[in-house]
Amino acid sequence: MSEAEITTNTGDSPNDLVENGLNKLVVKCKYCGSKILDKKLGKYILQEKELPLMQQDTRKEGEIQNEKVNQFYHVENMFTFDNIGFTHTVDCYKYLSCADCDAGPVGYYDMNSKHSYVALSRIEHA
Amino acid sequence: MAKKTYDLLFKLLLIGDSGVGKTCILFRFSDNHFTTTFISTIGIDFKIKTVELRGKKIKLQIWDTAGQERFHTITTSYYRGAMGIMLVYDISNEKTFDDIVKWLRNIDEHANEDVEKMILGNKCDMEEKRVVSKERGEAIAREHGIRFMETSAKSNINIDRAFSELAEAILDKSAGREADADHARIAVERRPSRAPPARACCS
Ligand SMILES: Nc1nc2c(ncn2[C@@H]2O[C@H](COP(=O)(O)OP(=O)(O)OP(=O)(O)O)[C@@H](O)[C@H]2O)c(=O)[nH]1
Ligand SMILES: [Mg+2]
Ligand SMILES: [Zn+2]
Repeated sequence: MSEAEITTNTGDSPNDLVENGLNKLVVKCKYCGSKILDKKLGKYILQEKELPLMQQDTRKEGEIQNEKVNQFYHVENMFTFDNIGFTHTVDCYKYLSCADCDAGPVGYYDMNSKHSYVALSRIEHA
Repeated sequence: MAKKTYDLLFKLLLIGDSGVGKTCILFRFSDNHFTTTFISTIGIDFKIKTVELRGKKIKLQIWDTAGQERFHTITTSYYRGAMGIMLVYDISNEKTFDDIVKWLRNIDEHANEDVEKMILGNKCDMEEKRVVSKERGEAIAREHGIRFMETSAKSNINIDRAFSELAEAILDKSAGREADADHARIAVERRPSRAPPARACCS
């Protein structure tokens, strides 16, 4: 994962999803609907991060395909989540996955700060 | 001050010989389309699941461990703070059943004294390969005063039920002493501030 450029700028947050800087809706798994995070528990932030794709092309063996993601919900305490999986550590990170169907990464956990970040584009709002 | 989102937090472990299916129990048996994902390549360390029991919102933190002999020191280090242990054997493998006694001794030596245990006879979908009868599983559990269930990670039989039952048993244990439970909860909530300063793991 590449270095992040953290900006706390939330000025242009999507109004239909974010209220008072927090997720307005429940965060669920895109694939199975498992509840990941309750409303108003994730802080909306903008930061550019590279996340491995959920679906890797198995023909390109040993090569991880990433994409740039920049909208996240920041969760300070991991026990705030309703249902979530944590992978083994890779460099300084653990990746987050759906606890029910194992789809992911839906975000990452920073081993140093012990904070979690859920990518808006990798989940469903309900 | 952050809003409290749960009443209790239980740390649970999966232990047992190599190959009995611990990882599959935690990581949904994937013959679905997620098999080749990034996540399955890296593997799951632990999961957090929320269950509601008797009006209490309980967070389960479930850890996978490695069964291989050479990892035993590491596995043992996971015992610290565990409130529940799933002791897994494979109904199609006699040795994994015989080793239950060894694991129980190991738990006695390293885990909290009042840790709640449950024995799981996994792979019960493989009736044609069964070598350990359900009766023998029940008998050993009874002998040690532990709960027992047969499961299949592959067919998703009894997995969720097993975890709720274990959680319920832990809850029962703490019921008669609510004060203690409250104490445990406070300890959990305070943990972040007591944790050692963040270690830079990638300097
Ligand atoms: N038929 C059947 N096979 C299973 C089941 N659970 C696991 N397996 C198979 O058993 C093998 C070992 O499963 P793992 O989950 O990797 O075993 P483990 O206990 O994590 O082993 P270690 O990590 O080495 O300690 C795999 O090939 C699984 O496909 C089950 O419920 N039924
Ligand atoms: Mg394993
Ligand atoms: Zn899911």
